[in-house]
Amino acid sequence: MDISVLFFGILAEITGTNRKHYRDIISFGDLKQRIGDDFPEIVHYNFRIAVNNKIVNEDPLLRQYDEVAYLPPFAGG
Amino acid sequence: MHLINGPVTPGVISEIIAKGGENIECGAHSLFFGQVRRDQANGKFVRAIEYSAYEEMVITEADKIYKSILSEFDDVKTIEIIHSKGLVKAGEISLLVMVSAGHRDHAFKACAKTVELIKEKLPIWKKEIFEDNSGQWRENE
Repeated sequence: MDISVLFFGILAEITGTNRKHYRDIISFGDLKQRIGDDFPEIVHYNFRIAVNNKIVNEDPLLRQYDEVAYLPPFAGG
Repeated sequence: MHLINGPVTPGVISEIIAKGGENIECGAHSLFFGQVRRDQANGKFVRAIEYSAYEEMVITEADKIYKSILSEFDDVKTIEIIHSKGLVKAGEISLLVMVSAGHRDHAFKACAKTVELIKEKLPIWKKEIFEDNSGQWRENE
């Protein structure tokens, strides 16, 4: 699967990017592993995951061209 | 729900208030302004906040907030939310909420509830920028 990954807030800062594309992803676990390999420091931060604008649980089912977002704790208002 | 670049200016605020006047069935408008506070940390003052947002998700989550408020407070007619993105200086407004209702009771309560839901649900982030241009990410409690 081709998956777009978005990073926000402090996670955009530590990864140095807002968006990264991943190819040949077989599952969310696989994607998580690849992101962890690219940005090992990410494990030190709190975040939730959204798939196509919806917050999801631990191990969401991904589909081709899904957009996965890494969301640090919110700070609006 | 509108995300605007920079602060919510007095001009934007007056436009929203004027628009409220179009709701002639309303007897009450409750407004909340969130302002960038000149906090101090480690002897340095905050000069501005840099806001960023997951814009598509902000819109879908704001829609859920509208639905939830309208179902909880049946006297509420309209809800307006304007939030800044980008840089907003200390003393400037970064959030405007206006709830219009038939009567004041639901206007007050729904406005307070809307602000709480904004802080909890909207994917928006802020980085405090200090006078020496160093920065610090903040999160809502």
